[in-house]
Amino acid sequence: MTRYSVLVVDDEQDFREIMVKKLRKKELECDGAPDGETALQMFSPGKYDVVLLDVKMPGRDGIEILQEMKKIAPMTEVVMLTGHASVESGINGIKFGAFDYLMKPMDMERLMEKLDAAYERKRSQQQKIEMAQIKKDMAMPS
Amino acid sequence: MKTLLARLKRLFSSPAAAHPTLEELQHLFTSRYLHFRELLTANNNALEAMAEMEKALLDGRSYSMAFIRAKSTIITVNVFKMIDNLRYIADGRYGQLVVAYRNIEKTIDELIDQSRPAVEGDWVLPLTRVNRSLVELSGEKMANLGEAGTVKDIQIPEGFVITSGAAQAVFSHNNLFTEINRIIQQTDARDLEDLHRRSHQVQKLIMACSLPTELERLIKEQFDLLENKIGRPIEVAVRSSGLGEDLGRASFAGLYRTELHIDRDQLIDAYKAVLASTYSARAMTYRLTKGYRHEQMLMGVGCLLMVEAAVSGVCYSRSMTGERQCMEIFWAPGSGKGVVEGTKDTGRLLVKRHYPFEIIEKKGTPLSVLSDKQVTQISEAAMKLEARFGTEQDIEWSIDSSGSLFILQSRPISVSPWAQSQPDPAPLADQQLLLRGGVTACPGAEAGQVWVVRSTVDLLGFPHGAVLVVEHPLPEWAPLLRRASALIATTGSVAGHLATIAREFNCPALLGVRDALNVLQNGQVVTVDATSRFIYGDRVDQVISCNVDKQNPMHNSPVEQTLKAVLSRITPLTLTDPTSPFFRSSRCRTLHDITRFCHEKAVVDMFGFGERYRYVKGAAKRLVGNMPMEWWVINLADGFAATYDASNKYILIDEITCEPMLAIWQGMHAIPWAGPPRVNVRGMGAILFQSTRNPGLDPAAPSAMVQKNYFLISKNYCNLSFRLGYHYATIEAYISSLRTERYVTFRFKGGAADESRRIARVELLAELLVRHQFRVEKIGDSLAARVEKRSQNVLYNCLKILGYLSIHTRQIDMVMSAPGQMMRYRNKFNKEIKEMLSHGKREN
Repeated sequence: MTRYSVLVVDDEQDFREIMVKKLRKKELECDGAPDGETALQMFSPGKYDVVLLDVKMPGRDGIEILQEMKKIAPMTEVVMLTGHASVESGINGIKFGAFDYLMKPMDMERLMEKLDAAYERKRSQQQKIEMAQIKKDMAMPS
Repeated sequence: MKTLLARLKRLFSSPAAAHPTLEELQHLFTSRYLHFRELLTANNNALEAMAEMEKALLDGRSYSMAFIRAKSTIITVNVFKMIDNLRYIADGRYGQLVVAYRNIEKTIDELIDQSRPAVEGDWVLPLTRVNRSLVELSGEKMANLGEAGTVKDIQIPEGFVITSGAAQAVFSHNNLFTEINRIIQQTDARDLEDLHRRSHQVQKLIMACSLPTELERLIKEQFDLLENKIGRPIEVAVRSSGLGEDLGRASFAGLYRTELHIDRDQLIDAYKAVLASTYSARAMTYRLTKGYRHEQMLMGVGCLLMVEAAVSGVCYSRSMTGERQCMEIFWAPGSGKGVVEGTKDTGRLLVKRHYPFEIIEKKGTPLSVLSDKQVTQISEAAMKLEARFGTEQDIEWSIDSSGSLFILQSRPISVSPWAQSQPDPAPLADQQLLLRGGVTACPGAEAGQVWVVRSTVDLLGFPHGAVLVVEHPLPEWAPLLRRASALIATTGSVAGHLATIAREFNCPALLGVRDALNVLQNGQVVTVDATSRFIYGDRVDQVISCNVDKQNPMHNSPVEQTLKAVLSRITPLTLTDPTSPFFRSSRCRTLHDITRFCHEKAVVDMFGFGERYRYVKGAAKRLVGNMPMEWWVINLADGFAATYDASNKYILIDEITCEPMLAIWQGMHAIPWAGPPRVNVRGMGAILFQSTRNPGLDPAAPSAMVQKNYFLISKNYCNLSFRLGYHYATIEAYISSLRTERYVTFRFKGGAADESRRIARVELLAELLVRHQFRVEKIGDSLAARVEKRSQNVLYNCLKILGYLSIHTRQIDMVMSAPGQMMRYRNKFNKEIKEMLSHGKREN
């Protein structure tokens, strides 16, 4: 039984593969994508609960991909990964709707904390929206 | 007295959202609470990171730009989150905060990412055109050398400089800084193994990069010009000339690479190798310890015609050992490498600083002999250089086979001289003396475990505080000097690079201890008395120097200055008083101000929740209890037991799962109420008088407002607004497993007696609450009290006390003016609260 699903987007192959393996061990459903374009192809509303997204990637960078993802599936929570963090890159992600950012290298415990919190937010937001929808349907039966 | 009614009315009804439905109320509560919690968490994260930054500045430890960057990012991101969450809670108000925040954030970002402004000027310059005024282009070392070349009768090797402008072009041509920053940000500086790996990664990156075509052409052109001038195939030495290198306080001695005997074909690779050495492990450690930023370290590179040296050495224009009227000359046959790396037997001379440069002392037995004429020649040059640069100089020189003296380098001496110990100190008689002799490269005494380092492999496992024992004092051991308690080498002299660095780090160093490797065993504890040149076989506390004034190596460094500048926009708190008219979003000067403001406003808005939104008809369940009053409960989230049937009109206390409410309830019932106090005629008169003027205050008059008291609850949250007798009170609490979110608040207002008695009651309440760790504010007859972030147990007790007081302070305002009553009630309340709480303890 998996708890929730995660997409790891990072161009560093070693990091990506280790991450996917570790997250699966933590009973998460987990896929990896080597770049933003691939990630967007794999991505669809409802497919992933949380995305772990590297800011710095060749081709389209993480911030751009984040914006696309938020357009496709606003409920999905995105945690940004930054290597060389400047104040700027940390904030940009949050401004465009990322849940939080993590700085590489990070330990597994912190990562799990962040992912769990992101999923918790996604779940509670979704519940709220579902409730509102039910109420609307009940008020105006079609 | 119309104000009292108006006040009560205001307290009881919200002007805007008067009667939301239950769903709306629940939704409002949960979403606001979610944002409030996120705000508190962000507040915590931001404050924690601020504390860590301040601590780093005070501790005098070394920290990196990566540290400043990471912490600033944590702070700015979390402050941003706070603003976001506050604006949600406050329905979009406080737009000014965003403006204030943006300004501060922009300044901080500029301070941190201040990359070097573009260097203007030639990429390649002949050495004859270089002097001190071109230091920004040529780097320190070549600027000094070029300047030395302009001094009369001083000869320097011919050559040219590839400038820092060229280095910048190489870096931006290959977009190296972004990648290098990425690699370095992830470096754990305490982990030497990791540092070596990262250093290797960066150097590989630089070695693999390509030069702009124009630069490559210019370099080769200069080389060919030089070759034509000499008229035969030439070889050059390629030497680093960093910016900020060779400054007074930081020598960067021997940290960068020098490539010798380079011909035309090897030139470009040699240049890249010297550039790459900016990121050698030892240079990275040194910069980190001394607080230099690598982005600022653009390297100029000198290409100097090789001098075929017969004898080379170093000259300190004033002796390091404190013989103030002497200079010190070190020499060895061949090139100077052996002297500065301490691998060759080095001769040492003490020479008077003035003509005729009389030789005072001669030590060491090098194979070649330096003639008196040559000594005079070197001494003269040294004094001329000192005069030109205006300060004592550390000079590298060579004399070629034809007897010409070349100055290869001249830089200010980076540490102050120390006083020589008496010529022949005696060892302590009662201690085991293992070794004696050698040269003091840095005075002082320390003890530690012996750790012999022969290769870079041994380097990795080096324990903190060990005594570093090596054969030769090579510059590559420099990273260990931060962790070593002392340094011992079998060869070397005061003039070596490692000796220079040992002095900068204040690490006691004894060099030229010939038998050190034969006598000292790994793991053995020894005391190195570098001042008196003894090594004892155990810890000898009486000689260990108390380095009280061990100076902070980061002092005044660029990184420290950056941290200070960044902190000035983060930590000072200028908004301190929430009641001041200047406590406004537009007045936020620092990030700390913003956190303070957000926190205050969020708390006010959240605490006002129960006040702003009143009950919903039909959603409230009547609590079945043994009290005569009517208690109603509204479930905001998970405050009822799962088994409770929501269609019921009544609920039992056993069906409530809200812990804070249960605590209040317990407090209310712990001790039976003694009934209203006996009132004298005057007191009763005052009440009757007020009651006739304000019908709403008459407890006998039926009114929904007066009769019903409401609990708004979830599992962890409780808001109780009630009237008992004639006063109005609110208790609100949130108690969860997260310490930072917990709070209990209490507001109390009103009464039926005249004002002085109501105030007297508030005084009594305040006194009792302060005693139980509440923070209390009083205005007139109203009171607000708050406790936050305490253990769950403390907070539950606070709620019990509030429950107790709500019941037992009923109507006592009426008797507050009677003599002795105040005291009587104080004693009674204190005694009963104590009884209640100790009873609760036994139950637990």
